[in-house]
Amino acid sequence: MRKRIWLGVVVAAIALAQQGHPLTGTWSGDWGPSGTERHQVTLVMNWDGKNVTGLMNPGPDSIPISSVFVDVTNWTVRIEADAKDKTHISAEGRLEDLGSYHRFIAGKWSQGAMKGDFKITRD
Amino acid sequence: MRWLSTFVSIGLVSVGAWAQQTSPATYDAEHKVKFQGAVTRIDWTNPRAYIFVNVKDSAGLVENWAVEIGNPLELEKSGWKGNALKIGDTVSVEGAPARGQSKRTLAASVTRNGARLFVVANRPVGPAAAAVPRWPDGHVRLGPEPGKKGYWGAASAGVLIQSSAGAVAMSKDGVLANLADADKVAPFLPWAKSVYEYRQRSLLKDDPILRCLPPGGPRQFQTANGFQFVEQPELGRILVLLGGGDRNWRVIYTDGRPLAQGDDLVLAYYGTSVGHWEGQDKLGKDTLVVESVGFNERFWMSAGGLPHTEALKLTERFSRPDFNTLKYEVTVNDPRTYSKPWSGGWTVRWVADEDMQEYFCEENSEATFLR
Repeated sequence: MRKRIWLGVVVAAIALAQQGHPLTGTWSGDWGPSGTERHQVTLVMNWDGKNVTGLMNPGPDSIPISSVFVDVTNWTVRIEADAKDKTHISAEGRLEDLGSYHRFIAGKWSQGAMKGDFKITRD
Repeated sequence: MRWLSTFVSIGLVSVGAWAQQTSPATYDAEHKVKFQGAVTRIDWTNPRAYIFVNVKDSAGLVENWAVEIGNPLELEKSGWKGNALKIGDTVSVEGAPARGQSKRTLAASVTRNGARLFVVANRPVGPAAAAVPRWPDGHVRLGPEPGKKGYWGAASAGVLIQSSAGAVAMSKDGVLANLADADKVAPFLPWAKSVYEYRQRSLLKDDPILRCLPPGGPRQFQTANGFQFVEQPELGRILVLLGGGDRNWRVIYTDGRPLAQGDDLVLAYYGTSVGHWEGQDKLGKDTLVVESVGFNERFWMSAGGLPHTEALKLTERFSRPDFNTLKYEVTVNDPRTYSKPWSGGWTVRWVADEDMQEYFCEENSEATFLR
């Protein structure tokens, strides 16, 4: 039964695939300095025709994404923001599986003096 | 066969030419397979009919091949039935093989005892000299005359490219012969060109239409099953009935209401549309001009993988230069995807004396075949 439910979820995801700018949409995942210390993150990004803008962790603790750099020749993405504690957040990685609804970005992450990795997947 | 006496049939087209949307990622048109074997099963199911054939290889092992032979309703219009073959008949098949390891082919020809089977005739068109039908106020009728049947069938082009591009070599599915020609197709912004090229390189495998999603935007007028206009001037609207995409419909309001904007928009595959008549020949107005906004981002607006965003605005112009021809011109304005507005178009042939066929994509579709 569980398998059937999962199949339904997969079919629904295919049916709702977004085909516009690959970064537009809601992304979730985590980042952190090690495999055991991870911090969940949600990014909401939108292509406005000139820039990709967005929010990090929408809700009462949200912070604006200050810049998103995209190299569309290889879909390298760098996302930057300043946390409420004034530390600078930078996440730089490559957008993989461009044609898939569940495309993802994975790469290096830093916040202040902490360094590690991140992976976010398009919801 | 009655239509033969009144209308003109233009030659024959081969098996598969009227088949539903298939993906170049599914079949490899650059290669051919050729085999002979016994029919083990006949799947005479809309929208794709298959025969299954046991084929013995050089080592004596038997493999069962699935042979896609076309759309059964189109085949039946050409006089073919599922019982044209019997289980156990020996057939020879030539076709494009499926990519990968699947024992599957899109047939170019199926023969039994040297006689070709499942050859589809072109659709009948109306009499060449017939006058373009008109409404009492003189404006051109885009649908059939009262008491008559007919719909718009095959488009002259399978893809949308900017009219200034000239000839661009590509397959009927929209795969460019030379990827460097991408710039000729449309004035892409850099991200959009990159996405378009990715879709081209991956042979359009992610095309939403292969998952049975509707053919939104201009693509609605390029499907195998055609479309129909139902003009309702007393209600201030025109319904567009779409034969492809699960027989969807679209409403064009002609009652003078403004085009919806902002929060009034519910994003959809066919957007929201208002239209009015323009142009003037000696009998009346001859061009329906339709403006549409409110598109979602879940479809490709043309075969080949043209991207767009929610900012897309289409201006479509429909005219009927003669009884059998619909001229379709569209201007694409999406400043988040293209560096400037651009235009393209094609013509569509009238299919006289017939109604659109039933078509439900999910049934026996690309996606379900693979389950």
